[in-house]
Amino acid sequence: MKLDPRTKLIMVMLLTTLGVLAIDLGYLFIVFLISLAFCLILNADLIMAIKRLRHLISVIVFIAIVQSLAVRQGRPLVYIGNFYILTLGGLINGGEFALRMMIIVLASLIVAGSSSSEMADGLIKMKIPYELAFMTIIALRFLPIFREEFSSRLNAIALKGIDLKRQGVIKKIKIYSYLIMPTVSGSILKSKRLSKSIEARGFRAYPQRTMYRELKLSRLDYVIMSLIVVFFISFLVIMYSLGGLL
Amino acid sequence: MRIELKDVSFYYKKPFDIIKDFSYTFESGKLYLVKGKNGSGKTTLSKLICGLLRPQKGSILIDGEDIKKKRTAQIAKDMGYLFQNPDMQLFAMTVWEELSFFYELEKNLTEENKEKIHSVLKKFRLEKLIDSFPLTLSGGERQRLALATIFIRDIRFLILDEPFSSIDQEGREFLTALIKEFIASGGGAIVISHENIFFEETECIMLEKNNEA
Repeated sequence: MKLDPRTKLIMVMLLTTLGVLAIDLGYLFIVFLISLAFCLILNADLIMAIKRLRHLISVIVFIAIVQSLAVRQGRPLVYIGNFYILTLGGLINGGEFALRMMIIVLASLIVAGSSSSEMADGLIKMKIPYELAFMTIIALRFLPIFREEFSSRLNAIALKGIDLKRQGVIKKIKIYSYLIMPTVSGSILKSKRLSKSIEARGFRAYPQRTMYRELKLSRLDYVIMSLIVVFFISFLVIMYSLGGLL
Repeated sequence: MRIELKDVSFYYKKPFDIIKDFSYTFESGKLYLVKGKNGSGKTTLSKLICGLLRPQKGSILIDGEDIKKKRTAQIAKDMGYLFQNPDMQLFAMTVWEELSFFYELEKNLTEENKEKIHSVLKKFRLEKLIDSFPLTLSGGERQRLALATIFIRDIRFLILDEPFSSIDQEGREFLTALIKEFIASGGGAIVISHENIFFEETECIMLEKNNEA
């Protein structure tokens, strides 16, 4: 299903807002299911996303476990004598955190299918100043460059005959501290080159910017947008009038 | 040192083999010039040899030992690899730190090793730049520094990826003389280049786009 980037941006904005505002696990689960449904409707590659985000997902699970163990409210579930290891309140807290994060991840998959230039066009059409729109898109494009640069430097270390995996913690920290500096400065140098290059191509030369690809909202966009807005408003009304589900 | 590639195949994306059933033996004391069009697999071949990439088919043997289960660091212990972009292998705050890094990590920065660093700095014409930040040096200086970080170790084989692409005539002459000296001292070198550099013991490998050597 091909949607206008503006529709996707509005979906992301509303779903993540609901993810933050949802007051308990039950509501969060509903938002999670809706986000998942939208991802499936938009043919987001969930398996690939799980593979690529496996480290992030493991961090989310780890933090959720730590939160579960740290919060000591509610009925104790696992305890030794008077010492509570896991409580119902802790479990719910951990679950809420994990679900919030997963909603954000799923929402990001909705826009992942669009190219950066499409997203920039979408933001500009939403009356965001195009300098800001480009800044956002370029910042996002820099993340993979940053990662690539770091892994190239790790390769360079290995090619010096230094086996990172076999180094002790102190040596590892020392090596990583060496790598951070050139990676950051390399990225700054790259961004300087990029800014010169876009200046040379006439960026901001004229106050009015025209576009090669004119975005136009289709009937489907209006339907999806109306659905998500109706869902957003009714969700908030029901949530605040009914109170917690659990 | 003897590097044997036996029926090596590699692809980034199935089913497009960038290297297909490639067999070749590289030996010390010789210069191997790898040529070919863009996308013919020259850099891929060099990365396979030093263990940065692993073949999906075939085997690579160094001195008769299969490198399949070895880590890149173990494979690269006797090897030097110069990236097409030497910036990628520079990470210290000064030229001196760049060369002393290896010794400092091993807590082995002895007077003897300091002497060695000074002689390498002199050989690579970097002695006046000792306190400079590596990434602000000129292109030629950065390449010489990257080479210096390779030659500070006792290597037996050298792999250079497009080393002539961004240096001037003086830099070319320096690099050619360096390779010649290294070969004469018993080392082996693989140079990926569009330039023709030939010594007495040069073998030229032409990689075709259809993955045949």
